[in-house]
Amino acid sequence: MSAPLLRLEAINSFYGPVQVHFDLSLVVEAGQIVCLLGGNASGKSTSMKTVLGLQRPGSGKVWFDGADITGLPTPRIIRSGIGSVPEARRLFGAMTVRENLLMGAYTRSDKPGIAADEDRVLGLFPRLRERLKQRAGTMSGGEQQMLAMARALMGRPKLICMDEPTMGLSPLFVDRVLELIQAINREGVTIFMVEQNASLALGIAHYGYVLQTGRIALEGPAAALLRDPRIRDAYLGGAAA
Amino acid sequence: MLGAWFDYTVNGFVIGNIYALLAVGLALIYGVANLVNFAHGSVYVVGAYVGWAAITYLGTPLPVTLLCVVVVCALVGVGIERLGLRPLHGASRIAPLLATIGIALVLDQVVQLIFSPDPRAVPMQVPDWRITLGGGTIGALDLLIAGIGLTSAAVLYGFLRFTKLGWAVRATAQDSDAAKQMGVDTDRVNLVVFAIASALSGISGVLVGMYYNQINPAMSFEATLKGIVALIIGGLGNVPGAIGGSLILGLTESYGIALFGTSYRNLFAFVLLIAMLVWRPNGLFAARRSLPPEPMTGTFIARSRPLKVPSWAVAVVILLAALLPLLDAPYLLQIGANSLMYAMLALSLTLVAGTVGQVSLGHAALLAIGGYASGLLALDAGWPVAVAIPAAGLITAALGTLLVFPAFRLTGHYVSIATLGIGEIVSLVILNWTGLTRGAIGLGGIPPLEVFGYDLGSVQGTYWLCLVVLVLLALLQVRLLNSHLGRSWRAIRDDSVAARSYGVSGDRYKALAFGYGGFAAGISGAITAHAYSYINHETFGATISILALTMVILGGLGNVVGAVLGATLLIALPEAFRFLAEYRILIYGIVLLLLIRFRPQGLMGTV
Repeated sequence: MSAPLLRLEAINSFYGPVQVHFDLSLVVEAGQIVCLLGGNASGKSTSMKTVLGLQRPGSGKVWFDGADITGLPTPRIIRSGIGSVPEARRLFGAMTVRENLLMGAYTRSDKPGIAADEDRVLGLFPRLRERLKQRAGTMSGGEQQMLAMARALMGRPKLICMDEPTMGLSPLFVDRVLELIQAINREGVTIFMVEQNASLALGIAHYGYVLQTGRIALEGPAAALLRDPRIRDAYLGGAAA
Repeated sequence: MLGAWFDYTVNGFVIGNIYALLAVGLALIYGVANLVNFAHGSVYVVGAYVGWAAITYLGTPLPVTLLCVVVVCALVGVGIERLGLRPLHGASRIAPLLATIGIALVLDQVVQLIFSPDPRAVPMQVPDWRITLGGGTIGALDLLIAGIGLTSAAVLYGFLRFTKLGWAVRATAQDSDAAKQMGVDTDRVNLVVFAIASALSGISGVLVGMYYNQINPAMSFEATLKGIVALIIGGLGNVPGAIGGSLILGLTESYGIALFGTSYRNLFAFVLLIAMLVWRPNGLFAARRSLPPEPMTGTFIARSRPLKVPSWAVAVVILLAALLPLLDAPYLLQIGANSLMYAMLALSLTLVAGTVGQVSLGHAALLAIGGYASGLLALDAGWPVAVAIPAAGLITAALGTLLVFPAFRLTGHYVSIATLGIGEIVSLVILNWTGLTRGAIGLGGIPPLEVFGYDLGSVQGTYWLCLVVLVLLALLQVRLLNSHLGRSWRAIRDDSVAARSYGVSGDRYKALAFGYGGFAAGISGAITAHAYSYINHETFGATISILALTMVILGGLGNVVGAVLGATLLIALPEAFRFLAEYRILIYGIVLLLLIRFRPQGLMGTV
């Protein structure tokens, strides 16, 4: 097996005096969907911020695609091939759907390529095509989530980081979003996803980690984790496994 | 008659265009940096002087003049962002705002040192013809200004709408974290925005110079204020709104002058500002009336552990201060008395800005109210000075609270803007209410300080009176801070929502704070009036408000001992280095900047 696409190595991070991660290490293999599970305040979102350079770890290293990206400014990390679907989507609400998509391609300058990708992405999310000129902020939550994913795809990333992609969506849209994540993955994009809803996430993932108060409590192939009785205790914040 | 109205309309549009060039930049900066840039008017002055210098020394034709202005001002803007503001990333949100005030002081003083404070005439660079239209006239310069305004708006629109960098600017303004996650280098976006905004501001300065045929370094403050008024009318961060707001402001002023006369012009602007802040703080063009939740509540400036000063040390210092007159050094005593009067003002501001977290930029207005109240009571009503001074304190407490009352629901930046506007209104009312205040002539022959027959008009007398009053006020303030009231004040500052949910009514406690603050500042103003025997509407200007703010930041916000120390240092030190007198304001500005950057908790620590 080749080197993993993303690797966190012995990360210790802090919010002021509070330590969030304790020697956190994990790997995301190229081509997979890897999910990071955990309850509130387990440090999931901070892991994502650490990868994206929004939060600088106190110690430890982040490797992406063979390069050390620890402490790089976020725009540089994005340029190196990581896309982001932030928590709560964070669309540019006053800009149109199309402008949001083009913002996703901000790091690129190959106009024909961008146009082709726009077409490809709209093929994946046909609903967005009808709304290209609409302001992003006026769409429904599910449509906004799709736009957030489409926007991330426009940068042609090797890896997309998704922070709670199903949060706040109606059950109908949750299934749709999960299908789309799989579809994106089938096109060759690696997915690193943070989720609170373990059974849903493990249903589409290849590999999973369970984070508990800043430490990996459990890890394994998604299918195995799904059958593991300890997982419920872990992500519900029960006693350490 | 109709022709005159046509002229006023043209004039209003022209002035509106000039304001628009200022306000658009302020809106852009507010968008990406969440900051009201108080140095904006200073860049405008730099632009005016660069234009003047280019024409006078190099004989540049108009396009080259404008190019020089654009280049120099853009560089100044880049410098402001890179050196003054970027190092403050991650600091509390009021820090950059205060930094821009420091930058404004520095820029204004540098311009003044280079070009002297005297007004200059900017040579007209357009042909002097006017066309007559339906009884009114339009000149070439009017058309030029309108043309530049429209062109700038069009270019800006194109930039924001159709260029990649323009999208990045808009995306950063909406959500800078999300923009970063799209690969946008938001630092660079900030830099570009400051460059564009500053260039536009500079052009505005040159055009004003040509329009009024006069420039001087002191015009920066008014430009900043007018830009902010236009910005608030249009809605903070709303670029098209800023243009609309500017035109409304220009026309309002022009028609106001037509109806009431020139001296009312600024009064209109600031009353409009306060009305907007009270009724439509989101601007005329926003759909929502309520303000978006401002992330600025919460931790204020810098948390720190205040330095503990043992009470015996304080007692020793007070004793030493009381013995100072025995030295027989009248000059030293004069400085001492000045420091003490400023210390009273600082006590007042450290409570309002520090303990309650309402960063007031118009605090000197309270001095003016106190000074005029006491002076008029003594002069016109014949009250004894010893009665007039405390009465002035009470009047200032009541009037000050009443004036700020409409602004109580505002937070953060809005409080600073509102208090700045209220301060200007007070000064303009004093200027225009000739029947009561004697207007521009000022209040002369104010009786000297005396308490029940004891003449305190001498330097020693003034000094001792100030010392006694200051000690009493400080003791009262310490007592208040340690009481239930003090805890409620800090609760409102640290988390107004939580405070409310515990049943602490924000408005009542804010009123008490402004009331006490008004009392202390009113007494200070009253004593100053009697000590000087003459005051006018400019005695207590915006510079003093800023100076007071620098004092309390230097001492440590909310810190009583710190306020006295800050006042003493900032008044006494420039006197000790008299050869630096020319650079006094410059030094204040630099002190303010260094403090915010390196010691935001001040010398004695925040409380």
